[in-house]
Amino acid sequence: MQRWTLECRQLGKRFGERWVFRWLELQIHSGTILVVLGANGSGKSTLLKLVAGLLAPSEGTIELRCEGSVLVDRMRLLGWCAADGALYRELTGYEHLRWWAQTRGLPDQHDALMAQLERFELAHRAHDWVRAYSTGMRQRLRMAMATYGEPPLLLLDEPDAGLDPSGLQLLRQVLNEQTRRGVALFATNRAECAAWGDLALELGA
Amino acid sequence: MGIATVVGVGFAALGQTLSAGLQAGLFWVAILFGMFPALARGFIVEEETGTADLLRVAARPTSVFWGKWLFHATLYLCLSALLVPLYALLVAPLTGRWDAWLLLWLGGGFCLTSVLTLCGAFVAQTAVRGALLAGLTFPLLLPLILMLIAGSRQAIEGSFPTEPLQGVFGYALALSAGGAWIFEKVWRE
Repeated sequence: MQRWTLECRQLGKRFGERWVFRWLELQIHSGTILVVLGANGSGKSTLLKLVAGLLAPSEGTIELRCEGSVLVDRMRLLGWCAADGALYRELTGYEHLRWWAQTRGLPDQHDALMAQLERFELAHRAHDWVRAYSTGMRQRLRMAMATYGEPPLLLLDEPDAGLDPSGLQLLRQVLNEQTRRGVALFATNRAECAAWGDLALELGA
Repeated sequence: MGIATVVGVGFAALGQTLSAGLQAGLFWVAILFGMFPALARGFIVEEETGTADLLRVAARPTSVFWGKWLFHATLYLCLSALLVPLYALLVAPLTGRWDAWLLLWLGGGFCLTSVLTLCGAFVAQTAVRGALLAGLTFPLLLPLILMLIAGSRQAIEGSFPTEPLQGVFGYALALSAGGAWIFEKVWRE
């Protein structure tokens, strides 16, 4: 397994005059799951978006390193799943996964896509429009997309929202498997989920 | 909107003989009015439905730019297929040099599509989209529209508009080289 390191140095993000957080220092190595905890508005999603490259830091740096070498475009190497992340209502679950695979240069053979959907218990609804999916099914689809291709950096922003007990079990499995692939950041409101990771970071504390 | 413009202009010009300059101006105003709301929506819809972040993570900025550009170019083609015959029927037939008209339509379409794709991406992330889009596109579209009108006027009068076409295609070249690069800076915060 390659050795991945995610490092944030003196990281800070400001919206207008308000600092969401400042001087954040993080170093996470392969095999580590970091659980990001905090109340609503504490900056969990902001931190994940900064790591994803969807937002630019107001100060500080973020680096993803593989065997010590800094990777410039980490967005190509991450799996991203956000509870508030919209999906295309006019596409089916299968089309979403195929589109994801094609745009990221991952295998897009029918069998591989169906196996991934099967794993997230979506195969029977693979060809239904996403608009007809329940909240939990949409969340499963986001996880299926995020984990497809086994990305070394997995960012999960409240992936537990709307999941039933079997979905939560699946989420734990995903996190466990990620420890063999690289690193994961898992943001949640549930304090009891802190035990799901190796490290916990509480924002706004 | 483009149809309403062409019908309105056709009604106003009913029974009148329009000068070449006026014909050319009205033609490009009709095309611009038809294109403006449609093309700027491409990225605004992504932001409004919340799919923009998914798109940012999934695809490279250059792929997103040229993908949207292609979609917008198809829209331009469809709108032109509707507006050009309607204009010829209701306002004035497109007379003169057909080869010059074709080149102006191609070059003008490339530039309009590029400018509106780029500006659409920029304003989609802001709160005052309508006003900002108008303000942003004005300095970029004005020289283009003036070149297109000058070229169309010459085409109607029967001469080949070499200089306006050079300007339009030079503009298109600059946009194709710089558009994707500027887009990359705008697309990721």
